Amino acid sequence: MAEIIAALDEGGANTLLDTAIALIPTQSSSGSGSLGPFVASYSASASLTNGNVDLIPPDIIRLDDLRVDWNLNFSFGIDLSTILPDFCIPQVCVNIPCVGKVCTPKICIDWPTIAVPVSFSDFVKADADFRLDISLAGGNWKVQAVIVGIPTLQFGATTAALLAAIAAAVTPILLAIPFIGPFLAIVVDTILLAIGIAGLTGFLGPILTPFVSGIKIPLYDQPQLFPVLPAQSAIDPQVDVITDAIAASIAHNGTEDELVLTADISA
Amino acid sequence: MSLTETESVFASIHETALNDLITAFCTDRPRYLVYGSPAFVPVTTVAETAMAAIPFPGVPGGINWRIRLGIPHIDLFTQTDPLPPEFSMGPGEFSGSLDAELCIDCRRLRIDPKPPRPKDLRGDDKPTNPDRPDGHPLSELTCFKLRVFILGHLEHVMASNGEDAVALAVDQVEIVDIKPDELESFLECLLFMILQAVLAEIRLPLRALRAGAFQLVPVVGPLIEDDQIKMRGNL
Repeated sequence: MAEIIAALDEGGANTLLDTAIALIPTQSSSGSGSLGPFVASYSASASLTNGNVDLIPPDIIRLDDLRVDWNLNFSFGIDLSTILPDFCIPQVCVNIPCVGKVCTPKICIDWPTIAVPVSFSDFVKADADFRLDISLAGGNWKVQAVIVGIPTLQFGATTAALLAAIAAAVTPILLAIPFIGPFLAIVVDTILLAIGIAGLTGFLGPILTPFVSGIKIPLYDQPQLFPVLPAQSAIDPQVDVITDAIAASIAHNGTEDELVLTADISA
Repeated sequence: MSLTETESVFASIHETALNDLITAFCTDRPRYLVYGSPAFVPVTTVAETAMAAIPFPGVPGGINWRIRLGIPHIDLFTQTDPLPPEFSMGPGEFSGSLDAELCIDCRRLRIDPKPPRPKDLRGDDKPTNPDRPDGHPLSELTCFKLRVFILGHLEHVMASNGEDAVALAVDQVEIVDIKPDELESFLECLLFMILQAVLAEIRLPLRALRAGAFQLVPVVGPLIEDDQIKMRGNL
């Protein structure tokens, strides 16, 4: 029999995880990805909010509707060369008496890439299973809930608005280009429409999934040399015990599933 | 039945771990088990607590004494350890046993042959009666050791740092087979008062009783049952 037992019911586990997840700092990353024919370099940040806890014996904590609030700042690059054909003035050669053959150089216009900054915030939800992980490292006992596998992200309906946000940012810039601006705007908007939700989630998925796939939720973190009482004076020093073993499990007791943590100590 | 029952959080500590905590307290702060007057303990240290001698007219410096207590061993209901026949442990109670050693500095006093005078007029007068070779030694450490049994209950208190804690409250003390009975009763009463005071100072935070796991605002308990202290409450 374990010397010390601590247990939480599902309601208690929900409260514990609310607090533990809220304490996980906002994560950030940067990189680049492709959205259809366009390239975007981005910086993203995300914070987590707990969902509903379901304790599943012997060692699974299932979180339904784990919410990831994300913010994306990206520079959306439109390479006009992919839209407009290359425009070249061909080489022209003329034979001039006494001089010989004289040629003009071939001149090509290299269409530029237009960078358009776009910011967008939204959230995704995920259902995820976490397995209990116990470790003794650096003199500390830790129990963490470590996510199992890579969860599928459920994008909200408002995520589709990102396409509209991109279009709203790009269109005025393209319209300002003389002569061909309206044409370019129509082409880009058409391409964005063709990218659609599927293309968008394909773009966002690789950016947002790492924020969820590596989650470790701390449930217990105490020094092995456990302080019972702090030092109060020179004649009343700190009182410690040694935690020899820690175990954690999900147990079905009576009608309830409970998160159970046990400890053995010595003086 | 679930561990948490109708509450959200449950915590329990078995008597073996409780004894580990008490042992840790008494090992790190041994002065809570050793008390003595200046001849034995001139100054309070981590190891010992200095107390006043028992003042008595004609005994210079008073009667010097010392008490040393062993680390108590606690048995939570249900009963595991044998008890004296006078004791019967019930639900919610604990029993315990420990050694107690009481000592006094037994001194032979010299009678001043001069008539009693006010203290400030005595000067450096010394008693004239020389040591008698066949008498009581000038000073002799006189001790005896007892096995003491206690019966008690838990009380929810605050630790010195303001945390919720438990303390062992002593209800009865039993010393086996001392005659006459009045002497046994006298010593039991003396140790009853001493042990109440000593054990009330060993305040173990509820945080330590659950090894720091989770938060627990007690609603039910601390209770003694099944050789454990149990608590239930909210986060």
